[in-house]
Order: sequence, then structure tokens, then C-alpha cells
Amino acid sequence: MSDFFSIKNLRASIEGNQILKGINLEVKPGEVHAIMGPNGSGKSTLSSVLAGREDYEVEADEVTFLGKDLLELAPEERAREGLFLAFQYPVEIPGVSNINFLKAAINAKRKHAGLDDITAKDFMAMVKEKQAMVELKSNLANRSVNEGFSGGEKKRNEIFQMAMLEPKLGILDETDSGLDIDALKIVSNGVNKLRGADRSFIVITHYQRLLDYIVPDFVHVLFEGRIVKSGGKELALELEEKGYDWIKEEVAIHN
Amino acid sequence: MNQKEIFVAQFDSIPAQFPIQGEARAAIHNGIDFPTTRDEKWKYTRVNSILESSFQSVESTLENVDSFKLDATWSYLVFVNGKFNQTISDDMPDGVSMTSLAACNGDVKKEMLSKLGSLIDFKKEAFPSLNTGYFEDGAFIKVRKNTKIEQNICILSITDGQGQAVNARNLIHVESGAEVKFVHQFEGLDNENSFTNSVCEIFVDENAHADYYLIESEGANTKAITNTNISQKRDSNFTIVTITKSGQLVRNNINMAITEPGCESNMMGIYFTDGNQHVDNQTYADHQDHGCNSNELYKGVMADRSTGVFNGKIMVHQAAQQTNAFQSNQNILLSDKATINTKPELEIYADDVKCSHGCTIGQLDEEAMFYLQSRGLGKEAAHRLLVQAFAQDVIDTIKIDSLRQSVEQFIESKFE
Repeated sequence: MSDFFSIKNLRASIEGNQILKGINLEVKPGEVHAIMGPNGSGKSTLSSVLAGREDYEVEADEVTFLGKDLLELAPEERAREGLFLAFQYPVEIPGVSNINFLKAAINAKRKHAGLDDITAKDFMAMVKEKQAMVELKSNLANRSVNEGFSGGEKKRNEIFQMAMLEPKLGILDETDSGLDIDALKIVSNGVNKLRGADRSFIVITHYQRLLDYIVPDFVHVLFEGRIVKSGGKELALELEEKGYDWIKEEVAIHN
Repeated sequence: MNQKEIFVAQFDSIPAQFPIQGEARAAIHNGIDFPTTRDEKWKYTRVNSILESSFQSVESTLENVDSFKLDATWSYLVFVNGKFNQTISDDMPDGVSMTSLAACNGDVKKEMLSKLGSLIDFKKEAFPSLNTGYFEDGAFIKVRKNTKIEQNICILSITDGQGQAVNARNLIHVESGAEVKFVHQFEGLDNENSFTNSVCEIFVDENAHADYYLIESEGANTKAITNTNISQKRDSNFTIVTITKSGQLVRNNINMAITEPGCESNMMGIYFTDGNQHVDNQTYADHQDHGCNSNELYKGVMADRSTGVFNGKIMVHQAAQQTNAFQSNQNILLSDKATINTKPELEIYADDVKCSHGCTIGQLDEEAMFYLQSRGLGKEAAHRLLVQAFAQDVIDTIKIDSLRQSVEQFIESKFE
């Protein structure tokens, strides 16, 4: 097994409804895994549970991230260990400056790693570099978190934050939904620039379109709380062509 | 003797210095009762704990007050247990004259007495009456016509000693065209069960600009009642910002008489409460003439079992056409046991005005908390950021940089 990221038999329910019914997934350093599925299959629950949202009752045989039991960690500890969730619906936080909050986040992470606070000079250089990468206007970086941002700007801001925080595992929760092609290209470019031998991604999406730009190593199909099919990037194309119905039929036959 | 008589009698050994003090004493001994929760304005604030206490006059040995100074570069007027301490006070900057009330003589005394008590109804309201009857000292500050005072002036009122009661009395006159900023800071130390009863009357003449920052760092067991009564003349600009940092029971009454056209008036406030604290803010914006703007924003964050009260009234008289008056009170409750009673009031007799009022009560946004935590911020840090963000628009109205920073630090320290 991989020490990097491994999920075994992950189950989650909310108010008595079981949404995830036994997820198994293994991600190695540098890999990009796409998780696709129809509405209501449990995609967003999976990302919320991994990031540590408290609304769910979670059980699993194992969820390991870098050798640690992920489910034992608070959301902020998961982030400091190197997990990053790009939200499907980033919240607006009036009055909290994007930049100040990011600086606090970076320093919390550095402190956790036994490092000193980042210097103002290094921080500003980093801001400049990363906001150019996702073509985020500099005035947005200085504004309140997501306040008054357009849908595309919010998603770019998520990728900007991801670039600043340099996670080991990035989870993109339907980052593509609602984006036009131009914005999708910018966001995907940003992610592609962050790809590397020691950084992995789980890309959760409803649409195959995103995977034209972020080409995955593996594609998994999530249906009714389980991963029912896994394959290479060609699986995504098959889904695009045939829709999700054939998967539903296949599952029905097996049951 | 009834409870009131027993309570008031504790102050009778204080010598009366001015005729007005005799009048006030007569009023409180013979007629006025202390408010109860049956009085609409005191519905949520009980003063029994004050009336049942016994107080004494403590001799303070305090010789150095530097540790209380929020910014050592300001000019300080230091009052310890209600008495002016000249030795540890600073000289006033050019354009400002200050005489302690007890030391007023000749023409200054005449001028002082013509103003003292003219903005407050000391024959009808018990605490102002108590203050007027029994104050021992205070500052009479005059800011000279058409002078801009760059130096900030701080009235530092310190209560030192157990069971100490202080009737703090101050009188401020900002002459026409002058510009000045005051900090009025209340500090308490070693003052188990002490009591501050303050009255400050502020006259803002034509075209003058004055800011007045009321900073309350009372002792954890102190009860404090402050009355700030302001009268604004034509085209003047006045801002009061009330920052309640501590104190067991704090009641602030602000009466803003906007008497002539063209005035701008701002009343801002922040109260952060925890434990069993009780903080009550009562404001009154009295629009008597046309073409004036008043703006009011109070924000509260309440934790534990603490309680808060906000009662803001805007009165627009018939003559006060073209009034713009806005008022807002916003609250965050951090605990299930915390309480806020908030009541905005409008009373309008003019027909060409723009007025609004509103209040909100809520909790910290859980989605925002999760978002910040998911980026690596701990719970306290996320709390702090959200609370700071909540309070920021009030904090931004503080025009003294060092004071603004000290308020920001205070909020930070609340979440450490």
C-alpha cells in the first residue's frame, strides 16, 4: 500500500442518510485522479469529508494521508499537513482581506513544519508570481475574501490560494462547473503548472470537458456512494459519449 | 432610612463646593428615585447591586500611571479617585486651557458655572443628580476659537482601591472653528466593587470639529454609569466612539442635542462582553433643526453568559427638515447563554427626512469558519479574523492611529 494517500471502505452519512457506502481509493505521489459521477452520487460529500467538514458521521477502515490517520485530524491540521480543498462554492467573507488571511494560513503551515514566519518580501514576491499564474487581477488579491468576485474570479482565487499554500494533495470540487471555456483554460493551466512528481490531485467533476485540459492518470466513476468503475483517461471520453446511463445499467446487472 | 437614603448618605460627608451641588443634593434627597426595571429606559439593567453596596473614599498612593497610557505621546490629565493629580498630568498644548473644577476662580469659575449642569437634567435623573451633588473634581477644558489642536488630549480617570465610588465630572467647550480629539479613558485597579458615575458635558460651537473616544477599561467587578451630553451648534462636526473593554456592569447614556442647521454627528460603539458582564448603551440623537446628518453604528460580540442592551433613539422635531439620520446595531452571540436586547426607535415630526434604523443578531458564519480552517487557520485565529472583520467598520472610524491599533490589539487578545 501507499503511505501517501489511501482510502479503504470510507462511509459517511448525514442525518441518518448514508451517502458514501464504502469508497476505496489509492493515490500515489504525482498522480491525478478524476472522480466523475452523476448528480447525487456523493462527489461533494467525498470532498467535504476529506477536508474535515463536521456535518457528517464518518467511518472507515482506513484513511491515511502521509502516514497519518486523516480522520483524526481537525480541518486546519489536514491543511497544515498538505491537503487543500478548492471549494465548489467558495464563501464570501466580508472584511477579511484575502492577503492577510493567506499570510496567516501560510504562517500557520510553516509553524506546523517548524519554520519561521515568511518574510514580507518573500510573501509579496510569491503573491505576485502566483496571481500572474492564474491571471488574477492584483486588486482582487487585496480585497476581502471572494467578496463581490464573479464566479470565475472565485474559482481562480481558489487556485491562487492553492498555489500559495503549495499542498501535497489538492482536491478540486467541481471547480469547472459554471465556468466558461476561457476561465476553464486559465484555471486548468494553473493546476497544470502545479503538477509535479510530489504533488497529487483529486479532480471531482460532473463534466468530461475539464479533463480535456487537466489530463488525468486515472478516472473513477462514483455512483450511489461507491466507486463502480475505474480506468484510464479514455473512460472519461466513453462517459462523455454514452452518458452515465450505461454505468447505471451495469451496476443494476451486477446487483 | 430607606435604601436610597442609606445609599446617598454615604456621600454626604463630601463638602459641596458650588450652589448647584446643593440643588442637586436637595433634589436627590427629596424627590428623585433611582431607576428600576419598571422604567422603560432601564428595563434590562438593574442597579440594585450599586444601591446595595457600601462605598468609601480611598487614599490612593498611585504615583506613576505610565502603564495605563495607550500612547505616551498624548497630553494626559490624570484623575485618581475623582481628584485631579497635577504632578503626573501634562501641560495642555497651545490653544487649550484646562482648569480643574475644584480650582476654578474668578471669571473662569463664572464661565464654568454658567455651563455646568446646563446639558443634563440633574433634577430629574438620579445618577446625574448624584454626580452633580457629590463630584469632588473634574476638568474644565476650553479649546480656543479657530485653532487646530494636533496634540491628542486624554482624560485618564483611574479608580484605585476597594469600594471606591467616583463621581467623575467633566466639562468641555470647543469654541467655534476649533478642531480637537479627546480620549476619555476609565481604568480600574484593585477595585473590587467600585463604582464610577461619570457626567461629561460637551459644547461644540459653530463650525467646530471634535472627536471624543470613550475607552472603558474598568475593573472586572466595577459598576460604571457614564453620561455624555453634547450640544452642537451650526455646521459643527462631532464624533463619539465608545469602546467598552471591561467592567462588570456598564451603562452608557449619550445625549446628542443637534441644535442648529448643518451639523454632522456620529455615534459609534463596540462592546465585547464575556463572563457575567452586562453592557448597556443608550443613545439619543435629538435633531432640533434642519439639514443635519447623524450616523450611528454599534457592534457587539457577546460570549458566555454576558448580556448586552442597545437602545438608540432618533428624534426628529418638526423644524428638523432635510434630516438624514441613520442607525444600526449589529450583534454576534458566541454562546447559547449570551443575551442581547436591542431596540431601535424613531420619532419623526418633520415630513422631509431620510431616516433608517435596524438591528441584527447572529452568530459567526460557520461556512466562513470552515473555509478559514480548511486553509490551515486554527479555530481561535479564524474566530479572531471574523470578529475583527465584523468590528472593522467601527474601528475604522477611530481617527487616532495608535488608539485604533490598541483597539485592534484588544480584540486580538480576546481570542488568545
